[in-house]
This record gives sequence, C-alpha cells and structure tokens, in this order.
Amino acid sequence: MAPTYPQVLLQNRKPDRIATLEEYQQSGGYQALADVLQNYSYKDLQEVLIDAVLLGRGGAAFPAGMKLRTVAEDAPFPRYIVCNADEMEPGTFKDRVLIHADPHMLIEGMIIDGYGAKAEQGIIFIRPEYESAARILEREIKIAKEAGFLGKNILGSDHSMEIVVHRSGGRYICGEVTAQLNALMGKRPNPQQPPPYPTEKGLWGMPTVLQNVETLANIPHIIRNGIEWYKNLAVTETGAGTKLFCVSGKVNKPGCFELPMGVRLSEIIEVHAGGMPVGSEYKACLPGGASTRYLPKEFYDIEMDFDPMREVGHRLGTGAIMVFDQKTCLVAATLNLTEFFARESCGWCTPCREGLPYIRDLLLRLEEGEGREEFIPMLQQMSKHLWSSYCAFAPGATSPVESLITYFEDEVREHIAQKRCPFK
Amino acid sequence: MDHNEDVIHPMLPAKLRTSLAEHIARVDHPRELVVDVMFAIQDQFGFLSDEAVEEVAQLLNMSPLEVEELATFYTFIYREPVGKYVIHVCDSVVCWMDGYESIQDHLRSKLGIEMGETTSDGLFTLLPVCCIGYCDRSPAILINKEVYGPLTPEKLDEILENLRAQG
Amino acid sequence: MPKLIIDDREIEVPAGTKVIEAAERLGIKIPRFCYHPGLGSVGACRVCAVKFLEGPFKGVQMSCMIDAKDGMVVSTTDEEAVNFRQYVIEWLMLNHPHDCPVCDEGGHCLLQDMTVSGGHGIRRYLGLKRTYHDQYLGPLVQHEMNRCIHCYRCSRFYQEFTGYHDLGVMQIGSRTFFGRYQDGTLESPFAGNLSDICPTGVYTDKPSRFFGRRWDYQRSPSICINCSLGCHTVASGRYREVVRQEARYSEAVNGYFICDRGRYGFFYTSNEERPRQALVDGKEVSYDQAIREAREKLGELIKSTGPDAVACVSSERSSLETQAMLKKICQTKGWQGPHYFLDESMAQKVKSASSRLESGLAVSLRELESADFILVIGADPVNEAPMLALAMRQAQRRGGKIAVIDPRPVSLPFEFHHLNVTPNEVNLCASLLVKTAVDLGAATDLEQPGIEFYQAIPKLETVSSSLQEQIAKVAQELKESKRPIIVCGTETVRQTTPALAADHALLLQATNKQAGLFYLLPGANSFSASLLASEDGSFLETLEGIENGTIKGLILVERDLLLHFHDRQRMELAFEKLELLVVLDYVNSRTQQRAHIFLPTSTLYEAGGIFITQEGRLQVVPRAHLSGTPIAQVSGGNHPPRIYESEIPGGEPRPGWQALAELVHEEPQPDENTTRSSVLNGLSELNPAFATIPAIDELPEDGMRVSSPEESSPRFSLDWIHELERKESPDKSLELVLVNWTFSTEELSQYSPPLMKLEKEAAVFMHVDDATSLGLSDSDKVTILLDRGALEASVSVKENMAPGIIVMPRHRLLEWQKIETLPKFVSHEEIKKVSV
Ligand SMILES: Cc1cc2nc3c(=O)[nH]c(=O)nc-3n(C[C@H](O)[C@H](O)[C@H](O)COP(=O)(O)O)c2cc1C
Ligand code: SF4
Ligand code: FES
Repeated sequence: MAPTYPQVLLQNRKPDRIATLEEYQQSGGYQALADVLQNYSYKDLQEVLIDAVLLGRGGAAFPAGMKLRTVAEDAPFPRYIVCNADEMEPGTFKDRVLIHADPHMLIEGMIIDGYGAKAEQGIIFIRPEYESAARILEREIKIAKEAGFLGKNILGSDHSMEIVVHRSGGRYICGEVTAQLNALMGKRPNPQQPPPYPTEKGLWGMPTVLQNVETLANIPHIIRNGIEWYKNLAVTETGAGTKLFCVSGKVNKPGCFELPMGVRLSEIIEVHAGGMPVGSEYKACLPGGASTRYLPKEFYDIEMDFDPMREVGHRLGTGAIMVFDQKTCLVAATLNLTEFFARESCGWCTPCREGLPYIRDLLLRLEEGEGREEFIPMLQQMSKHLWSSYCAFAPGATSPVESLITYFEDEVREHIAQKRCPFK
Repeated sequence: MDHNEDVIHPMLPAKLRTSLAEHIARVDHPRELVVDVMFAIQDQFGFLSDEAVEEVAQLLNMSPLEVEELATFYTFIYREPVGKYVIHVCDSVVCWMDGYESIQDHLRSKLGIEMGETTSDGLFTLLPVCCIGYCDRSPAILINKEVYGPLTPEKLDEILENLRAQG
Repeated sequence: MPKLIIDDREIEVPAGTKVIEAAERLGIKIPRFCYHPGLGSVGACRVCAVKFLEGPFKGVQMSCMIDAKDGMVVSTTDEEAVNFRQYVIEWLMLNHPHDCPVCDEGGHCLLQDMTVSGGHGIRRYLGLKRTYHDQYLGPLVQHEMNRCIHCYRCSRFYQEFTGYHDLGVMQIGSRTFFGRYQDGTLESPFAGNLSDICPTGVYTDKPSRFFGRRWDYQRSPSICINCSLGCHTVASGRYREVVRQEARYSEAVNGYFICDRGRYGFFYTSNEERPRQALVDGKEVSYDQAIREAREKLGELIKSTGPDAVACVSSERSSLETQAMLKKICQTKGWQGPHYFLDESMAQKVKSASSRLESGLAVSLRELESADFILVIGADPVNEAPMLALAMRQAQRRGGKIAVIDPRPVSLPFEFHHLNVTPNEVNLCASLLVKTAVDLGAATDLEQPGIEFYQAIPKLETVSSSLQEQIAKVAQELKESKRPIIVCGTETVRQTTPALAADHALLLQATNKQAGLFYLLPGANSFSASLLASEDGSFLETLEGIENGTIKGLILVERDLLLHFHDRQRMELAFEKLELLVVLDYVNSRTQQRAHIFLPTSTLYEAGGIFITQEGRLQVVPRAHLSGTPIAQVSGGNHPPRIYESEIPGGEPRPGWQALAELVHEEPQPDENTTRSSVLNGLSELNPAFATIPAIDELPEDGMRVSSPEESSPRFSLDWIHELERKESPDKSLELVLVNWTFSTEELSQYSPPLMKLEKEAAVFMHVDDATSLGLSDSDKVTILLDRGALEASVSVKENMAPGIIVMPRHRLLEWQKIETLPKFVSHEEIKKVSV
C-alpha cells in the first residue's frame, strides 16, 4: 500500500479541470491574505517565512523570507514581485501542474509576498510553451480582482496590488533571475552579476523580489496553518513543507507528486512513480533537473531534501527526477544534455559559449567511437573551469558531465576501448 | 532619440496597429511589451518579416536592430516564413530516453521535409525545441504551442490527418 | 585607500579601483578582452582571471570585476589561474581563423598577443570552425565576423557609450553575431573607434586596409585640427604618407576616443592634387625663385605706395608659430593685419570667449563628463564638435540633465530638453532660465554689477506661456544641480552671447554651485588667433581697401577666402584688382589657384606646430614625417621608385612660419627649428598671456591652459539687453542661419575621400509652419534667391527647430557664398519650389 501524505499545494488537483475561485476559497483560500492584511506587519510576515524555513523551490534554495528582508526599509517605490514561471529546467513541470491545478494559490501567494516587500506590482514571467497556463492565469487574475483580492486597497487594507502575465519569447537562460529582469525590460536576457542585487535595484532600477511559483504557493499555507505544522510536513529534521517531485524517464508512472520534503528517492520511484518497467534496473537519476549531478545507485535511498543532498555533494535542484536504467547509455544522455545547454547558452561569457560546444564535440566523438584517452582529463578540466563562468548556467551545465566521469568513468572508457557505444 | 521618424509601413492591419499602439500608450515602459508586440504581429502573419521588425521598432520607438537583437534571441520568434502548423519536436533528455528520434524520423518521412523545413503546401514546419515541460507525457511535441504526447507513430498520423483536414 | 598584495608586491590604490587596474599600476598587465578602461567592466570574456589567496574573495575570480580591498592577496601566476586563462584562449581560438598573415589586425591584435603569451599553441579541438556572413558597414569600417571573439566591446561602445542603435548583438550562444540589422553605413559619427577597440580583426580601418602592418608605420602623437577641441590622435605614416589615424588617450581632452571627422580628416595632407611646387603666375618655379619674385614685387609695391598697401590674412588652421610669425611681420613691416577672422562679429565673439574663460570657470572636455547639468547655449554638438556630444552623453549616462537652447533642429544621441527658440531669443531664454534657477538671496559674494545684471533680466512673462513652462521645468533641474556647466557656441549666436554665458556661469557659482564654462570656437586655433588678433582694422576694411585701390598686395596664409567669405563674387572682383596676391597653403583651394605667387607650406604632420584648443589648452604637435610626395604617388607602385634626385620629390613645402620668414628677409634664413624657437621666444611680446608657458619640451602630455590676461569684455555687461530691442526680421522673411555639419562643411575634411562618401545631401531646414505657409513639404526642391544669384537645395521640414529661419549648411556642394551682408534675411518671394 502506498503511504498517503497530506496534499497541500495540490489539494484541489483534479484530473480534468482547474480549481475555481470558489473551490479554492472552500479549501481555505484567501483566508491567509485576509489574516495577513489585518494582523501582520510586513516584518511579521518576513519573520514567519524565515521561521518556517521556506526555501526557494526554483533550484537555489534561498530562504524566501530572507529575500523579502533584503529589500531595505527605505528602498524606493514602486517595488516589484516577479513570479518565475519560466520552468525551463529539463525534467521540470511542477509549476505547470500547480497552475493548472489551483491558480489562485499562486495568486494569493504573490499578493501576500507583495505585502512582505511593500510591492504593489506583480509580474508572472511565463514560458511560451505554457500558453494555456498563461491564459488560465490571466483569466483567474481578473476573477481575483473582481472578487477584491487584487487592485486598490485589497480587502479594505492599505495594501494594493496588480498582477500581469508576461510571456517569454522562450529561452532557458530567462529563468535566471537577472536575465529574467533584463527580459522583462525588453533587453537581451543576459544575466547580470550583482551588485546591485535585484532586491536593491531590479526591474527599472527598483527593488524587485523574484520567486518561483512553487515557493509562492507555499506562503498562504504557512500563514494559515502555522510554522510548526509546516515544518512537521517534512520527514527530515531540518526540512520543512512538502515538495513537488516531477518524475520522468524509466518509470511506469511518470508524473508530478506532492510528497513530504525528505521522502526517500527509492520510495518516490518505487511507490509513487509506479516503479521501473520490467527489465529495467536503476542506474542513476538526475535528481533535480538537468543541471544537477547524476545520482548513482549508492544514493538510491537518499532523503530528498536540500540538506541531505548537499551533505553528499549533490543538489536537490527543482526536484525533477529523471530516471536512467542500466540499458541507457549515459555518455549519450550527457551528450543530449550538453547539446541542450550549448544550444541555450546566452553567449555572454567565453567558457559557456565556447566551452560547451567543445565538451559536446568531445562527447559526440566518444559516443561515436572516436574517443581518445585524453578526452577524459579534458572533460574534467573543462567541467571544473566552467565554474568560473559568468553565471550559474554553466556550472549547472557541467554537472552531468563531471558526474558522468566521477561515477561512470568505466562506461566512458568502454566507449573508447570498444571504439563504439556499447549500448548500441 | 527618435529612431524611425519617417518610415511608414502599410502592412499592419489598422485595427491591430491601433490596439497595439493603445496598449503601448498605457504602460510606463513600452519596451517591456516588445515580445508581446512581436508575438501579436507574428500571430497575424505566421512569422516576423523584415517589415514586421521595422514595424515593431516604430511602434516602440526602438531601432530595427534593437528589435532584431531580441527577435533572434528567442526560440518562438520566427524570422523566416513558417507553415500554418509549426511542429516543435522536443529533443531533450527525457524525450530522448523515450524515443523522440523515432517521432522525428516519422515526421520527416511523413511530411517529406527535414528539420527546419516547411512542406511545399505551406502547412507544416518542423523545428527542434528544448524541453517543453511535458516530460510526464514524453515523447512530446508542440504544434502551434499546443502540446501532444505521449506520442506513437500512429497517434502522430492521426494528429497530422486532423490538421490536414482542417487545412 | 585599500592596500593589497599582487604577486608579492604591495600597492595602495584609491577605493573603487578594480584589481586589474591595481595590477596595472604595478606594471602587471593582466590579460583582458572585454575590459576597457573607457567602457568599464562586464566580466564577459573571463580572460582576466587571477587567483585570490587571501581576503574577502577566494579562488579563481575575474580581476576586472572585483574592487581592490584591504588584505587581499592576489596571484596572477597561480597555476590554476594560468591554466584557466589558457583554456579561455583555447576556447576563443576554436573558431578563430588561423590566417593572421592576411588579417589587417595582425601585428596589433590582442588575441594574437594573448594566444602567444597565454601559452595556447597547439590546436586540440577536432571540430569545424564556425563561419559568419560579413556586412557592408560603410566606407570607414571593414567587417569580418569570423574573427569575432564575442567580447561585446563593440556593441557596448556603440550603444551604451555613444548612444547610437544601429549596431549591436544578434542571435544567441555560439551563434551570437555583432553587426547591423542590415548592410549599410554605420550611423554613429564615432564608428571609426570600433577599429581601435575591437581586440581582433572584426572591425578594421577600411581606408588603410592592406596598406601595412602596425610595425611598418611611423607612429607619432598628433592632434586633430578639424574642430576646436583638439583631440589627441596617433598618426601612422608610411612612405611619406599618413595612412591611418587613431585615437590617442588624453586624460583631459578626449579620453580614449575620437570622432570620425577627426580620424579620417587627414587626407588633405597626402591629397594627389595637393600643390607641392612653388608657382609664379601658374608656372612651376623653385621655392627660392618664388620667394625672390615675391620679395621683389612686394618691394616695388611698398616703394610706390607705402607699407600699408600690403595686407595679411591668416586663419584658424594655421599653427601658433605661423600665426605669430605673420603678426610679427605685420608689426615690424607696418603691413595691415593680420586678420585671422573674416567676420568682425566672430572675431569679437572669440575674443570675449577667450578673455572670459577664467581659470575658475574653465572646464576641460573630460570634466564635462561629470557635470550633473549641462546648459548648451547656441551650439549643435554633433555637428560642430562631435566629441563634445560624446562627453555630454557620458554626463547624461551618469544621471546629468541636459538642456539645449538653439534654433537648429539639434539631434543628440541621448535625451535632452530642446528649447528651440529663434536666434534672437537665445540670450533671453538662457537668461530667463538662469534667473528662474538662481535664488539671489542665496548668493554669497556677488558684486553689485552682478546683482544689477540679475535684476535687469526681464520677467519670465515676456515669453510665450509654452516657453515659460519649458523654462520652468528645466530651471528646476538646474536649480537642483551641484555641478552645472554652461556650453556656449560661437557659430550662430549673437555677439554678446559668449560674455553672457560667462556671466551666467558666475551667477551659478555665486549660489554655491561648482559651475563651469565651456566654449566652442570656430576653428582649431581660434583661441590662439584671438590672442594675437590686433584690435584695429577688420578684414572688411581691408577688403574695402582693396576695392578702393589703397591696398594692392595681399598675403594669404593658409586661408581660402573664396570658400569662407560669404560673398564670393565680391571677393573675386577684389582679387582682380590686386597687383599682388601671394598665397601660402597646403591645399589646392580655389584661392590658391588665383595666386600670382604661390608658396607651398607643409601640413601639421610634416611641420608639427602648436595649437590652442577652445579651452585655452596649448598643445604641441610633433612632426610625423618629412614633406614629400607619397611614394605611392611618385612611383605608381614601382619598387624602388625610379626617380633619381638629391632632394625628396615633392619636398618643397616648408612650415608656414619658415616660408614667411624667408619672404621678408633678404639674408639667408636659419633653419626652420631656429626660426620656430625665435618666434616662440618672442610670443610674450605679442601677448603677455604667453609669458606663463614653459619651454615647449617641458609641457605636460595634455598641454597646459593659457588664459588671456585681458578683460576685454567686462563682467555683467547689459549690452545683450539692448540687443534684444533690435528689430526682428522683416515681415514675411526668414533669417538665414549658416551652420556646419559633422561632415562636408569643415574645410580640411572636405579633402577626405572616405568622408566624402558619408556626405549627406545638401538640404536646408525649415520649420513646418514656415514650410506650410510657403506651400512646401519635406524633400521638395527649392531655389533660394540670394543677393548674388540663386541656389538650389532640397528642403527638410522639421518641427524641432525655430520658426522664422532657414538653416543652411556651408556644404561643400552648395554654393552659399552669394550673400552681400550678414545677417541675411530671405523673403518668402525669394524661395521658389522647383517643379520636377
Ligand atoms: C540558468 C538558470 C535557469 C533557471 N531557471 C529557473 C526557472 O526556470 N524557474 C525558476 O523558478 N528558477 C530558475 N532558476 C533559479 C532562479 O535563478 C532563482 O534562483 C529562482 O527563480 C528564485 O526563486 P526561489 O527563491 O523561489 O527559488 C534558474 C537559474 C539559472 C542559473
Ligand atoms: S555562463 Fe555565461 S554564456 Fe553561459 S548563460 Fe551564463 S552568462 Fe551566458
Ligand atoms: S577582462 Fe575581465 S572578464 Fe573580460
């Protein structure tokens, strides 16, 4: 029997339709907003989120409350809340599922987040592939506004907020905070190294707090049910809340599952994702999207939470688990991943723009049986050097490459020795 | 500086032009709308022609180059003519594991075109695309931003037939 | 001031200094591509990586992105950093062509240097190289995208630094492309700098393509004399020819860049048509013979009519030495002149500018970049002195506000307030603006005349309500500023304007602002000319003297009267009356062709010389090469040139000062250096302002300021108020405003073939209201009837200019010199549309 866990973010998920405003409200929706507007100072709110250990779900695990707090008290207005719904990390689709399940949860989260930064302008940055989600949000924002949850003086308070949906033209780098801000301003979406930090000078030079869809959706629940309840959702000691895990690849039931933070990888695969197909054996997974390291069999039982992963030198990332079996060539998989990153590199800095195509070339030669011994140290060296790129894109991009060699050097060597891909 | 003071393009339908101009007039920072404006014009004509780039530039008081800087950055802005149905085949890692290559091969042979090409009847264009966020439905494709998956060659045939029938 | 250790050596640097700069102070040049001190840091190329051992940062980091901090210990030679940099070079070389021998950047290519010094020698990459299409970018810059290493310098310079938007970055990832939207000539008048800043051969200097390698050239420091700013350049000469000019860094003047007029304005010096041989009545003679004949003829003239039958005219493009020599000759010989200005009003304007530029007010071009408010009174920066516009752009980028009071359709590569009032209203508008911004109560030490001056400024209500509004808005910004600078032109303004601008700057200073003053003058050596100009007599009087027969001999030194004087017909008739016209020059001007006796002079590149910028900055230019016909012209490409003479072919031209000295002295003259020293030694007799300058070889790199000790125009004069009462233009007529353009009006750059290709059609500008009442629309062709006949031009109709005027460029291809007197008004009837 599969253990059942409390459903928080996906509590109103239905197989065939989107939760309406009424349904959301029936489940307690917008109570948190009313509560916050009446009973919380914006600083109280920041404190609650910090105490609840709400960590960013976009991949970097930055404490959400801390981010609000970095907006200086005397910072200028207008201030902005940007919701990052770009979700271009391969393997990740939780934000899409969440928006399609219960859009008002995100909207409420954004309004409350706005209160915490004294921001009155909200923008949802969404990838063009999610056109249907964009339409849903536009429609529901209007409904929320008609119901008085958005607009001037929300619920009679002095907090006001407008939310607009901004469609991206489509590029992975647009998910990176500073690149996203540039994109929003109609500039080329190259990242921009701080300082200044976006919370100091972001959109149009104004303080801007940027958070992931899933992060924002957590906020109303923390307010409604309290810090302890939230922390207790996690099965790990240090963790808090639930996590949306996207499972794909060699499993019987790919999908997005809301599970306690810290649930074991083995359980996710075997229980929730229906196990692996007959004849398939676990070889590795990418535990948190394409820019995390391969997690080999020795970590099959690991607790899927930020800290336990970090302790063994891995990252939880977005919690997008892509499962590879013993029949899948990881050199070819890494080639595919590198192809993705090389194609999506924004082209701003040298290591990423030129180094990734170089790595791709080496992997391609390996896969096609033209590999040479010296490729291995070159791949290692370049993976290391790509950490000195301009932004976090390239370090992420080399995670599969570096971990391929760390954990599966034998498989790489076999390609060289046999002068062909042993899986073909 | 005013960039394209004297250039007037007759191509944009007056109604669209006015509605875009009104939208632009309403916002504090017109430039934030550049992708929206590009999409709006692209939706009208299928792709963003040179004239359209100049049109966007004029509407937003940018230089055509500044528009081109963005138009050529993004995946979903087409600077060349495309078919009525643009098929984006996801070729990222999950779809790769689940066999996007056979989907792609099937499409190529069925439509008689290579990736990046458009069928001679102007109906279909084939383009590769990075992970579209439907890994739970892989192998997946997008047709005019609508998702299809998980796919098999049979399902594909059905989809193509339906679209052909719609013309 | 943070103290840090780089490669075991300690250094203290000002806060905010980047580590890459700190290292440079120690003589350690860390590799760089994207970093450029003029453009700042962006951290794109990653080649400046060093290892941080101690301090707030650890590990391999980009030295261009990190401010030096106390306690930092940095190693540039650390193995990891060296290995990383080596990889960066390898990455950049993956796609870079291996064809240095045919690349025009070879020899001064940063990538070449880095590849060698960075230790990347052997190609490991087995893949193919990426290729791009190149674009046509116009006559100045060659594009070869395959060589691009994506450092982003070009687009940053072009868009951010200069404010033009037709060149930038397209595509993404390793396909990123730098260029224009479509093929076409670059719009920025600073585009030539691309060749300087591109670290490889993507942008190279087109006119000098395939001419030589950097190391083949004699490279000498020089300055630009195509406007009054005097930007620093490097002249690259080869085979007796200047083939390329680049920007030279100057802390005070131009910074790292120059404009295209300056960069490509040098071609007059090697022009094939340039007269290099002395002429008597059109026949080639030896220099000595021409001198002898001139001396004889002058002698006869003086004997029959007296010394004041001879007059001398020079120009603003002559060196100080030449100007001074002429002055000295006139003084000792009793000849008339010299006149350096043709227009008395201009002479007065320059005079009051140079005398009012007190050291407490004068600011350099670079200082202008840190102004928080710039008020331009009567100037059109891009057209008159392009680098001024670039400096203003930097001020604007740092948050400075800019207002321009000028009747012309001024266009600048940044946002600014344009108060496009009529020429008559410029003074009033400026005064109202300053008055509105200045609170007299807050004024500390303002003398009584200053207070009276302030009080005499009319009420704001004297102007239209829309202008009042604009003035109030701009005045608010001026009021809030701390470092306002007034920029004042001399070209189209009234005679009183320069003094008025100085008075306003004083008013601003009196209210505790760090106000500055910056003038534009008509020519490279106007300032020097005004220090030397004599008080009595004007060029017009001299002209009348020729016409009524009292003046029979005229000596023109580097001055083309048929180009510059507004009444060419009158000038030509006057020439016919002359018994002797001696011309000394280095260009084949119309006037030169009329000379009875012609003496070729050498150019700045051949003679060197001293020029004083509009800021009063005296700058010494050394010679770049000896006079002589370029070998390419002598030999038609044959090697070696088959001319067997003991002298350099075409080597006759002598410096203006030397030629003048020989012209007036019977005995053989000492060499040009001795002559030069003697004239420089006597400078302070000509004007005490020169007494303060040290010996030429002791001048600092950036020259030094001379300021006029004279107070020729008193402070806080109210003359401008009386001028306001002057009658407005006659009814139904338009005032003709003659102006300069970036290209095609300036004298010397008119001889530049690449710049000719950038010329715009000669058009006149008219306000839309005037055009409407004349029944004209944009691009119509019109004839304009002037005093000496009609001229044809197309009309450009503008809204952003003053009504009641016609703006006419002194375009090379427009015969505007048909005007009897200035100011000139053209009645509506005199403007006719040409039907096609
Ligand atoms: C190359 C790159 C792509 C990213 N893409 C996304 C994305 O698609 N969605 C997202 O929420 N965060 C993305 N991130 C992480 C964001 O930079 C940022 O950390 C996050 O959105 C902050 O929100 P959070 O604190 O709520 O997680 C990306 C980061 C990098 C470096
Ligand atoms: S690492 Fe460099 S090139 Fe790559 S995405 Fe970041 S900034 Fe762009
Ligand atoms: S010079 Fe520092 S990154 Fe380019």
